[in-house]
Amino acid sequence: MTNHDDGLPNDPEGMRLMIHALIDGELDAAAALAVERRIAADPALAAEHARIIALQGALGRLPRPNVSDALRARIAALGATGTARPAQDEAEPQRDSPSAQPGLIAASVGGGRRRDARTGSSRTFGPFDWRALAASIMISAVLASGATQWVMVNYASDGLAAAVASGHRRSLLAASPIDIVSSDRHTVKPWLDARIGVSPPSPDLAQDGYALIGGRVEVISGRPVPALVYRHREHLITLVAEPQQGGGIAKPADLSSGGFSLVHWRDGAFSYWAISDMERPELDDFVARFRKAAV
Amino acid sequence: MLSEKALAERFGEVVLPHLGDALALARWLTGNATDAEDVVQEACVKAHAGISGYAGGNARAWLLTIVRNTAYTWMSRNRPRGMLAVGDLGDLDEMAAAHGTSPPDEDGPEASLIARADTAALEAAIAALPQPFRETLVLRDINGLSYREIAAMLDVPMGTVMSRLARARGLLVSELGRAP
Repeated sequence: MTNHDDGLPNDPEGMRLMIHALIDGELDAAAALAVERRIAADPALAAEHARIIALQGALGRLPRPNVSDALRARIAALGATGTARPAQDEAEPQRDSPSAQPGLIAASVGGGRRRDARTGSSRTFGPFDWRALAASIMISAVLASGATQWVMVNYASDGLAAAVASGHRRSLLAASPIDIVSSDRHTVKPWLDARIGVSPPSPDLAQDGYALIGGRVEVISGRPVPALVYRHREHLITLVAEPQQGGGIAKPADLSSGGFSLVHWRDGAFSYWAISDMERPELDDFVARFRKAAV
Repeated sequence: MLSEKALAERFGEVVLPHLGDALALARWLTGNATDAEDVVQEACVKAHAGISGYAGGNARAWLLTIVRNTAYTWMSRNRPRGMLAVGDLGDLDEMAAAHGTSPPDEDGPEASLIARADTAALEAAIAALPQPFRETLVLRDINGLSYREIAAMLDVPMGTVMSRLARARGLLVSELGRAP
């Protein structure tokens, strides 16, 4: 093999990578010049160079997937505000939120953030309703549904856990993620109590950085079960509290997988499932604070 | 702390212009256009929630990183385990390196043959690439990211990006060159 003193690799593989780097515009002027000289002097390298160029040309002519108007509209709606609304909204029925309980929307959650209480389908939400809060709720639902599916797999032998998980997942996907929006535990607790006759401890941990933002009812194994929703910065935490009858006490167990954090524990009165897209240490911190405050 | 309106504007600037790239990446990672839409929508929800964490730089690379992670999460959730044949990356990289020790394709196909390859054959060849090679090729040749951006996204050294890319292109070239 001829030895060059141009600073380029002398092994064929290294030289091959340099040709790719040249074509990809990754080389500075001096290195590019050196590689071009080598190519000019070596027909094998020149042929390789021509093949890569031809391949890139063919790849560049591949049809790109078409971003459908419907998809673009849905995603534009995520970021839309009252001042910057996507044009597609003109054609969509305006679903203004008639918020069934406007008085219950707390200041920390309000401020123009309205949500559509009854439409049922997230895809028909107008931009007014479907804003930061709703988006973060949606992500919580998406993440939690993945996490619960994982739980189902791993707890296939445990009928109750599977029922908790499947019910949770169904409700997250199908129903509105928050039935009552309030940061006031004195609103959430009576609401849950009135609806289903059960109300788990619902301490407001806002001072610890975990604000209670609402609650909802899920149906698991044919029974209504309360769920609380907390927010920590951009993350939501869904806390399902399944009432126990004569159940034991179990310390928090980590069931996290695939990017979701999931912690399960029992305190004798309730069996809790805390699900979030936060990192485990943060969720552990929430669980610890919740358990302390709930005693 | 940015106002909500500023965040919404940033979402419009950072995410919306790159939906085509996001969809293309998701299409090649999931294997079909329908799943790609689901993945992109889910990724955009995450991007929206995390928009305040976007610290400047290449917006497309930022969005595509979210799309990639979402695609794998999505597939782990929606596909049977057997379909996620990710393989041992270390082995693949060794394979990529070993491949290069052979003389560089002295008898490789004519470039004109590659240039004439029809769309279906090329798409089939890309789909048949092992996943680490496929994603590297797509990020570079379809999404147009730099080596450095790809290395950061995949959390691998630049040299690994280069050898995976060369290996992916080599496989495509020999596959297309085989066609009559």
